[in-house]
This record gives sequence, C-alpha cells and structure tokens, in this order.
Amino acid sequence: MSALALAWRNLIRQRRRTALMGVVVAFGFAAFALAGGFIAQSFEGLREGTIRSVGQLQAVDRRAVSTSEETTLEFGIADAARARALVARDPEVSYVLPRIDFVGLATNGTKSIPYLGVAVDPEPEAAATGARGLVTVGSYLSGDGGDGVLLGTGLASALHVRPGDRVTLMATTPDGSLNAVDGVVRGLVDVRIKELNDRYLAAGAGLVSRLLQSSGTVSKLVIFLKAGADENAASRRIASALSGAGYSVVLRGWRQLAVFYEQVKLLYVGIFGFVGAVLVVIVILSAAIVMTMAVTERTREIGTLRALGTRPSGVLRMFLAEGVAIALLGCVAGALFALLVRALLNAWGFTLPPPPGGTHGDPIHVQLYPLAYAAGLVAMVATMAIASYFPARRAARLSIVEALAHV
Amino acid sequence: MPLPSGSRTAADPLLEARGLTRTYTLGSGSVPAVRDVSLMIEEAEFVALQGPSGSGKTTLLNLLGLLDRPDGGTLTVDGREASGLSENERADLRRDRFGFVFQTFNLIPVLSAEENVGYPMALAGVPPDDRRSRSMELLAAVGLEQKTSVRPDLLSGGQRQRVAIARALANRPAVVFADEPTANLDSKTAEEILDLMRGLCDSRRVAFLFATHDPRVVNRARRVVSLHDGRIESDVLSTGTRT
Repeated sequence: MSALALAWRNLIRQRRRTALMGVVVAFGFAAFALAGGFIAQSFEGLREGTIRSVGQLQAVDRRAVSTSEETTLEFGIADAARARALVARDPEVSYVLPRIDFVGLATNGTKSIPYLGVAVDPEPEAAATGARGLVTVGSYLSGDGGDGVLLGTGLASALHVRPGDRVTLMATTPDGSLNAVDGVVRGLVDVRIKELNDRYLAAGAGLVSRLLQSSGTVSKLVIFLKAGADENAASRRIASALSGAGYSVVLRGWRQLAVFYEQVKLLYVGIFGFVGAVLVVIVILSAAIVMTMAVTERTREIGTLRALGTRPSGVLRMFLAEGVAIALLGCVAGALFALLVRALLNAWGFTLPPPPGGTHGDPIHVQLYPLAYAAGLVAMVATMAIASYFPARRAARLSIVEALAHV
Repeated sequence: MPLPSGSRTAADPLLEARGLTRTYTLGSGSVPAVRDVSLMIEEAEFVALQGPSGSGKTTLLNLLGLLDRPDGGTLTVDGREASGLSENERADLRRDRFGFVFQTFNLIPVLSAEENVGYPMALAGVPPDDRRSRSMELLAAVGLEQKTSVRPDLLSGGQRQRVAIARALANRPAVVFADEPTANLDSKTAEEILDLMRGLCDSRRVAFLFATHDPRVVNRARRVVSLHDGRIESDVLSTGTRT
C-alpha cells in the first residue's frame, strides 16, 4: 500500500472535503486558463492591429530617426519607386507600401480644419492593411486614388461634408510655399481612435504629390512580410539591398515603432500576475486550512502509522500526495469548466466597452491558449504542494505517543 | 526482512531496560511516570504489566516499544542500544521486530482487513503476492478468513482486535506490545482474544507484553510485573492459567 494509494483512499473517504477543495482548485485553474486565453487573444489582436497600422518593417531616411522634419518630406526617401521595387524583390516580402505623412488645412469653402494626412497607394494599401473595412460611408479609393480623399468621420462632420462633396486641401510644400488642391470625398473612415478620426485624411499619392509639388519622394516605405518570415533576417537583407543601391535608410521593426505595444503588454502581464497571485494566495489559505483539519482529524491514525513503522517522511509523502492529487483532480475539472465557459463567452459575442480614446469596443474572445492551461496546472499543483507541506510536516513530526492519545 | 544491524546473539536478551526514567512536564511542575525501571524480556514470554491507573504501565510499554524516548537509562533491543537510533532507524526497528495491539484497535479505516494486515509488510517491501498470501494466512489464524475484504467499520470490536493482532504479527515480530487489548471488548470476546494471543505466543514463539489492569489478562500471563508510582513493585512468574 503506497503513500499514493493510501492518499487516494483517504480522498475518497473524505469526499465532501475533497470536492470542496477540488472546486477551489478548479476555479483557480479555470481563472488562469480563461484569463490567459483572453490576454493571449488581446495580445494577438493588439499585435495584428499594430502591424496592420505600421507594417512589420519600415524603411525611413536615416536622418528622420533622430531629427524631426521642419518641412514635409525634408527627410524623405527620394526615387522611392526604385527603392520600392528593390524591396519587393526580397522573397519574404509580400507588400511594400509607400506613404507620405503631411499636415495642412482642409476647407469646405467656409470652414477650415487642420488635418493629419497620409498619401497611399490605394490598392496594395487596402490589400495589406484591410483599410477598406474602415470605411463607414461611401467607398474606398479606387485605382491610384485620383482626386479622391478619405476623411475621418470626425473631420467630415466638422467640415459638414459627405461622399461626393468637394474639399480643398492646403499644405506647405517642401520648399516652404503654401499650395492647395481640390479633392472629392470618396468615403468616411472610422480609424477607431476618436482624436484621430477628428483629423484623419488619406489620399492617393498622385493628388498629394500635386499638393506638395514633390514627385517620387515618400516619407517611408511600409513593408509587410509573408507569414512565417524571419523578421530580423528580412530586415538585414532589405537594409543591405537598399544600402547597396545608394539609399541612406534605416529599417525599424514594428516593436520599435509601436512602443505602446510593449507597455500595454507589460500592463496586462502585471494585472494578470497580480490576479494570479491573489488566486494562489486564496487557494493556499483554503488548502492549508483543509489540510490542517485533515491532519488534526487523523492524528491518531498518524500515530498508528508511525507506530507500525512508517517513517516521518512516509507521513509527509502521504499528505503531500493528497494535496497534489486534489490539485490534479481540480485541474481536470477546471479545464473542463474553462472550456465550457470559453465556448459560452465566444458564442455569446459580448462586446467590451471601448478603450480610453477608442470609438469601438472589441468582442470578448477567449483563445484556447495551452500555455495558460500549463501555467494553471503548474500553479495549482505547486500551490497545493506548498499548502499541504506545512500541515504534512507537522503530521510527520507529531509525537507518536501524543498522537495515539489524541481524542 | 533481515534483522537491523547489531543483531542479537544467543546471550543477548530480546529487550533489556536499565534504569529507565520518563518524566512528563505538566504546567510548571513535572510528573515522574517511570522511575529507574530495569527489565528484561526474552523470546516467547507472555508478560503482563499491571498496576493501578497512573502507575506507569502504558508509559513503560511505550518506552520499550520505541514509541517514546526515555529521559534516562538505557534500552537495548536485540543487543543494540536504542538511545542513539535516529527516528528512521527506530521506525524500521518497530516495523521489523515489534508488533502493536491497541486498546482502540487503531485499524486504518480506509483499508480492508487484508490490507490492514498487509500494511506493515508493504512498509517492509514485501512483494504484493507474498503480502496477500501471508495476510490471508494470518487472518485465517485469527479466525477471520471470511472477512478479508471487509473494512474495519463493518467489523465487530472482537473482529477488529483480531485483525489488529494479525497485523501485529505481519512482519514476524519478536515482541508484540499490547496496551489494554481487552478493555473495549465484552467478557467472552476478551477471553477468546486472550486465548488467541497465548496460542500465537506458543506457536510462533513471539513474546507478548501487555499493559493491563484486567485480571483476566493477569491471570493468563506467565510473568506478572507489577508497577506502582512508576517503579516495579514485583516481578513474578505465574502459572498463567485460566481462573
């Protein structure tokens, strides 16, 4: 009769207590599994959203990294078409998007509003970023964009314009003069950030080149890689190719560009860690109380086992085995419970409130994240082992005579 | 299982206590439970430790059975001094050389009669098949061959004590210590249990040492050690016959 077998029999004998402790462990495990799945999903969503916005890599002029431009395209990449073609030749690149960042005033003739503009190559931009999905009214830019513009919903509202209306765009050219072109509103977009919606404007590269009186120069090349591509290796290859062709550019990865991603991730990990620590403490306290009760109730039995020749370590093993067995049973129940709750939450489609500054909340989606299940298992088994250890050690150290006389 | 190291020679007594002393602390005072007791136990003896409540019978039994440590004096088991043994060595010695029968039976409630008897053998590393067959043989010897798979809570007091006796004999001990083994039994059952133990003492050459104030036990003992206030008052051989 091994310590494990004896522990198992005792768990069955104390069904109610085993069930109670098992439920505590199951909830603890399910909390780990569900929170882990939710956070993994959030990280995944944040990562995808970030990459859709900034690409996986960006090539910018070396000077733009450390110095702010005083005029638009001051540190742009000249002869961008050749650079774009060079980058597109890399076997792991799927899209290369030229973008020009510019600022100016948009006017409807009676009212002028500042905007933050971006010039794009519409078709590849839409294919790589899913930008068509942001259009709420009207349509996306077609072909090379022509004289069409997309306005953030807030900016359009402030200008009182709708798709089909004309707007005049004013901006400072790279040589410092003021220029203006007319555009036609093709669609309104919701970029999901209220402040940006109030200022956002996108147009085809042709219209923007006319506005800025600058042809062939872009602010950056936004690069998307094929699935499974090695980001670092691709970055090195592209930088080398551009450098070899005489471009003085720097390649930056999306993590460098989206500093907030790591900050948000750290925040989530901090919250998850704190909640996890609280859970572990609750399980430890509950388990320690239950195991202490078990030791107290079985004091005479412990005395008998010791009298018959069980070593102190044997008694310790028996109670530890009970704690670990409860943890394993609780984790199995917790995994089933977590899978059920996950299925319900995902089917329910409950939407979270929008984040600060956001215009839309995301629906709750809990990923099946094996690492969270593994972490839950390790945490619960370790927790139960720790919680059982001290009562078990007390049991192992009991005086045999006092234990046998225990009433 | 082999004997622990320091195995006994023909000249060594099974158990030898010299000047054993045990004092308990109660509040700020101390109560001497056993005082300067010297005693030898030989193979196949059937010994009763008798005396009034508080005379030190159970304390002496616990000291001799290595369940407790004396404050003074020496105890040798199979010629080996026990005071220097570690907890593990004491546990191994109890497992291999001693058996215990308690007043309240003290069977493991989650184990069947057969498993209870097999438990000390499992501790000693006896293979499961050998364990099972010896458990059956011992249960048959105590008249419980029909109750091998029954849990203790479904057995009568007498049956439980029989299981406890079978368990005490599991690892072929040299000595069985029995603390008031008949106290919780009716007269008829107590008589049967005593007859059983005496028969086992003779047939298996196992020494039995009882702490008791039951005259039936005393009357069956072949040697009666009387205690008073923690000291041996008398140590006499008896005819050990039924009254």
